[in-house]
Amino acid sequence: MYRTAARRLLGAGFTTSRLLRLPKPRPTTTIIPYSYCTSSMESPIGNQSVNPNQSDPTAAREEGHRRDESRKPRAEFQEEQARVLAASLRHVPRLGWTEEAMIAGSREVGVSPSIVGSFSRKEAALVEYFMDECLQLLIDRVDSGLDLQNLIPSERVSKLVRIRLEMQIPYMSKWPQALSIQAHPVNVPTSFKQRAMLVDEIWHTVGDGASDLDWYVKRTVLGGVYSATEIYMLTDDSPAEYRDTWAFLDDRVKDAFDLKKSIQEAKYFAQDIGAGVGKSFQGLMNGVMQTMSTRGGRSSAF
Amino acid sequence: MALRSISRRFGSRVLSYRSSSLASLHSHATSFGFQQVKEEEKSKLVGNVFTNVASSYDIMNDVMSGGLHRLWKERLVGKLSPFAGMKHLDVAGGTGDVAFRIFDAVNSVKRRALRKVDEDSLEETQIYVCDINPNMLNVGKQRAAERGLGDNKSLVWVEGDAEALSFDDNSMDGYTIAFGIRNVTHIEKALAEAYRVLKRGGRFLCLELSHVDIPVFKDVYDLYSFKVIPNLGELIAGDRESYQYLVESVRRFPPQEKFATMIADAGFEKVEYENLVGGVVAIHSAIKL
Repeated sequence: MYRTAARRLLGAGFTTSRLLRLPKPRPTTTIIPYSYCTSSMESPIGNQSVNPNQSDPTAAREEGHRRDESRKPRAEFQEEQARVLAASLRHVPRLGWTEEAMIAGSREVGVSPSIVGSFSRKEAALVEYFMDECLQLLIDRVDSGLDLQNLIPSERVSKLVRIRLEMQIPYMSKWPQALSIQAHPVNVPTSFKQRAMLVDEIWHTVGDGASDLDWYVKRTVLGGVYSATEIYMLTDDSPAEYRDTWAFLDDRVKDAFDLKKSIQEAKYFAQDIGAGVGKSFQGLMNGVMQTMSTRGGRSSAF
Repeated sequence: MALRSISRRFGSRVLSYRSSSLASLHSHATSFGFQQVKEEEKSKLVGNVFTNVASSYDIMNDVMSGGLHRLWKERLVGKLSPFAGMKHLDVAGGTGDVAFRIFDAVNSVKRRALRKVDEDSLEETQIYVCDINPNMLNVGKQRAAERGLGDNKSLVWVEGDAEALSFDDNSMDGYTIAFGIRNVTHIEKALAEAYRVLKRGGRFLCLELSHVDIPVFKDVYDLYSFKVIPNLGELIAGDRESYQYLVESVRRFPPQEKFATMIADAGFEKVEYENLVGGVVAIHSAIKL
């Protein structure tokens, strides 16, 4: 369920702003200038937007001269934002997840740094863009044939979490800042959603078929394991590229699976007890019903 | 009065507005408050108003808005997010309120401490204050001198018309117009000029008195506007007519959605507006891409 949602959302490249557009049907929420009608970007909701060329000839004729001027392709704001953020990531190791990094990024792309002022929750926009990109990369890695066949589920989970965390290595010096940005109350809804999608994606890949209460438990537990490993990684100086972190990760995943087994056992136990109690309760109810019907039958005989 | 803000992006009702917008634009160009005037005359009449009010402009702003105009301008500059090395144009900013705030934002100690040395940021910040009325500019220059910024090269005071700016194409990172666009004869020309001088990625921000729709509050606001303000004008500035013009011109100005459509028609993207104090004031923002 989430995977198709993820595809649809990430296909356009930017989760948070798309989320704003998701509740449909709704008329277009962004004004698209009449002279910009041929949109090269896919926009699921934008199709009901203006197409004045056909419906209002007089006005179109009047402003026709302006249409000629705009023969150069007009970039949509989302695209520009994505481009600026992508360029900004290169400056993050040096400047941190800050406006300075985004200003440097925008200069690289050839756009005035003023555009940074219009990003909602500025630094959070950069961090969220990065999280989306990493999720997309993970999905791509999985799709392009990651070998998981010979591994038991706990090892698969380990491998996927490791791949995802390795994407953060270049930014490790500034990652604590990113975490604190994600923890701001304003940013929590989005960061929570992104992590939920990540965890869902990992379970989906591992081959999870649960649909009941188990679904939530699994994702919560994996979320916890992921966060714990992420934080452990921040202070890991082990020699061979975070060897200690991966050991920590494996241990935690094993614990989680053991926990899962224990929960499962506890559930069966509860069911058995429930069945026993239920049977005796049912017997009692049957007895009561019979007594009432015979008594009623006797009275109606009159 | 609590500061409430509603931020909305609006639906594309370009079609229905196109036919009625031409009529209303014409009506804006020939309206001086509730009076009808010739287009050529409007500019002169507005000029007279501001020559008269220039010296007491700031005091009257404080009295009329209860000091709130300062908060509104802070919000405007906050939205702009000025950065070092920025080239900014503040139109109709005669007495320099917005310009000084931008200057402070860029040069605040905190900012300077955090600034990483980068070749680009070594460019000087330039804030141009443009106003059609020399009297307003003089008041602004005086205030700059009082703050010790009289000789500062970052602030440049320019006399000019919002409908025909003397700046180059694609030269500005930011363009603000606070409580000025209402007084322009041809709004669409001012918007077109704004579009012209902005660089790619540059932002357009407009702070203006706008329309209130909330039922009871609207009546209170109307009462305040038409009964209290002209009297204050007479009492404090000795000029009832100018303030009568002011409140009337607010009513004649297009409402938030219509104005946003006009901004989009000028070619801007990501047009949004935010209502402050229930619509008494609105900040429209857009980006040139």
